[in-house]
Amino acid sequence: MKINNKSHSKLSFRLGVVASVFAALLATSLAAVHAETTPVLGQRCENEGSNTGISSTSLICVKDKAGKLVWARVKVNSSGGQPQPAIRVSGGTIEFHHWRGEDQAYFDKIISQFQAANPGTTVKQVILDSTSYANLAYSKISTNPKAAIFATMRGAQFKQFYDGGLLRDLSSERFVTNNIVKSALTPGIVDGKIYGAPYQALFNNPLYNADMFAKKGWKVPTNFTQVLAFCKTAKAAGVIPFAWPAATRGNGGQIFNSFLMNSAPDIATLTKNIADLEAGTTDLTSTWFKGIATKYQQMGDAGCFPPNVSGYNDTVAPSDFALGKAAIYPCGTFCMAAVTKVNPDMAGKMKMMGLILTDDKPIYEGITNNTFILSVNAKASTKDQQVARAFMSYLLQPSVAQYYGVASSQHTSVVNADYSANVDLLNTSDIMGKKLLLAPRFLFLLPQAKVRDVVEDALIAAATGSNLTTMLADKSKIIKQNLGK
Amino acid sequence: MALPAFLIYGFLYLYPALSNLLYATRRWDGVNPPENIGFRNFTYMFTNDDVFLKSINNNLRFTLFVVFFQTAFSLMFATFLVKNTKTNIALRTIYFFPTILSSVSVGLIWISLYDSNYGFINALFKKVGLDFLALNWLGDEKYALLAVAISQVWFHTGQMVVIYVAGLQQIPQELYEAADVDGASRWQQFKSVTWPMALPTTAVVVAYTTIQTFRAFDLVYTMTNGGPQNASQILVTLIYTNAFAGFSFGYAAAQTVILVLMVLAITWLQRRTLRLDYGVK
Repeated sequence: MKINNKSHSKLSFRLGVVASVFAALLATSLAAVHAETTPVLGQRCENEGSNTGISSTSLICVKDKAGKLVWARVKVNSSGGQPQPAIRVSGGTIEFHHWRGEDQAYFDKIISQFQAANPGTTVKQVILDSTSYANLAYSKISTNPKAAIFATMRGAQFKQFYDGGLLRDLSSERFVTNNIVKSALTPGIVDGKIYGAPYQALFNNPLYNADMFAKKGWKVPTNFTQVLAFCKTAKAAGVIPFAWPAATRGNGGQIFNSFLMNSAPDIATLTKNIADLEAGTTDLTSTWFKGIATKYQQMGDAGCFPPNVSGYNDTVAPSDFALGKAAIYPCGTFCMAAVTKVNPDMAGKMKMMGLILTDDKPIYEGITNNTFILSVNAKASTKDQQVARAFMSYLLQPSVAQYYGVASSQHTSVVNADYSANVDLLNTSDIMGKKLLLAPRFLFLLPQAKVRDVVEDALIAAATGSNLTTMLADKSKIIKQNLGK
Repeated sequence: MALPAFLIYGFLYLYPALSNLLYATRRWDGVNPPENIGFRNFTYMFTNDDVFLKSINNNLRFTLFVVFFQTAFSLMFATFLVKNTKTNIALRTIYFFPTILSSVSVGLIWISLYDSNYGFINALFKKVGLDFLALNWLGDEKYALLAVAISQVWFHTGQMVVIYVAGLQQIPQELYEAADVDGASRWQQFKSVTWPMALPTTAVVVAYTTIQTFRAFDLVYTMTNGGPQNASQILVTLIYTNAFAGFSFGYAAAQTVILVLMVLAITWLQRRTLRLDYGVK
């Protein structure tokens, strides 16, 4: 077939138009796709909680004041200046005392890199389980100057080490002031001076099985009435609503943070209530505490907790949650690794909820905690303190913190660490967009056996149906006796 | 030769023990300097400390249960295993096996067995139709101490079997032969020959078991940590809690003195009772 020039040019024109329209359509649709998938600060987004990572430049999809979902900056507050590089040291052997046995391998790797960068140095890990560490760390470290760097828990333990004069003043260390998120430093400050660098940024809120919630068509409860209703629904479906490990003192007490969170009109009142309890000027029969205990009891009555909850421990709880027998595991980000260890398929299926146990407008929507407070032993030799400072500055490098965070499924307080390589950290990080309270359970400052343990025992008794009036009076008597009143 | 031994003993045992006596009269949080408060720690624990009194009560019940059943079971097994046949030696080894395990391992094994929702024990009871025995073993105040005591008996019975076997093998065979000639039944032989002749061994077993129950820290700590609601709190776990979770080191030292006095008194009473029965005065 012959095509003359006129026809040819006509055809070319038509093809050109079609191609242009097609190209325009393609460009438009690509732009639309691009606009929907590429987060832009202040632009609308679709899925609340989705985010681009957790660093100072990451974005998160949250509701604005008008209630519309928009991309906003992740709430990693700024530090005191530009992050500082690690300091160097040559030679020296020190011990690093802590309680994170599950992170030993990651710290081993970090230590070997530190030792390679600082020839002649040796850092040995000395690890106890968390309960033993809470009880024995002070005795061991105070008599061992080789324990040149160590971690303490926020609250009573940090205070004990401070009182014992074991904490070197770190206020002038720029690798602390500049490399840690400013707000996260608070637990390491006493009278305006920095004595510790909180390494971990924890979120002590319940994990929920997002996959199960989606399949069953359940919504995450957002007030106390909804929590009770959810418990009945989940129980009727043959699922344990809250896998609360009441028999294990440490993680069994995590849910207490959520109960405390909105129990008082403001943080000052809450702090005073707890201080009064520890001073013996009020007791567990107070209206404030009875209100908390009553809610435990209501949740127990609504079937929120597993059968025989007082014997339900923190080995069974993550297992039930991981295997789909429980909907919610009231623990925290630090418990995700235990869940995926039991069932690797849970990776990416966990999300985090703020447990709101009030029907009023909540003051706080979730819990955070800055702990694993790194300190340099003021009683170590000058040389060992130098090695400890160098090692601490190395741990506080964003790249090191990022490695540790991603490997251990644990956020840190270090600036510019990006955790987007860990799906569980991403999926649970939308809690960062909420109004968070620094874990109030650690407002108890006396050694925990004196007051806090008795308080938590009282709440377990409340949840298992004890008569509140007599039980709270009995426990109050024990607290008074422990305080020598 | 005696001097080095005494020095080692003095440094490792006598000095800490005497220091403990000193600290028992102090208020000391382990951080600030100790404060001399005389005997107030002692008066306080008996007049104003419900948990301490509960722990003594728990300890006595725990000891009574374990001493009775551990002694009875070990004597019973030993009477059947006294002859040195291959089967008996194998069985003695099997019964002894739990003793070589660490207390923490034993505790973890029993936690898993006792689990109220998934444990073997409750599953077994439910399987044979004894649902009323499927209890919240470690979580219920009524049963926690009993559950730990059963584990303690399982843990140490094999050890006592070995002691009893050694004791029973010392009983002259002629006594049994004479009893046979007299037409004594197995029970009569046990009652009239084995039991009285085994009394010195029983004294050792009972005294050793008593001390063991007062020192059963690791098993209780692992299985219940003294809970729930102090229902399985015994003196050693309470002392540990007061010292290391309450930082009341002086008070804990005073409770240690009471613990030692209690063990001494009970052991003395037991020895006296068993010696009287045996006719040795």
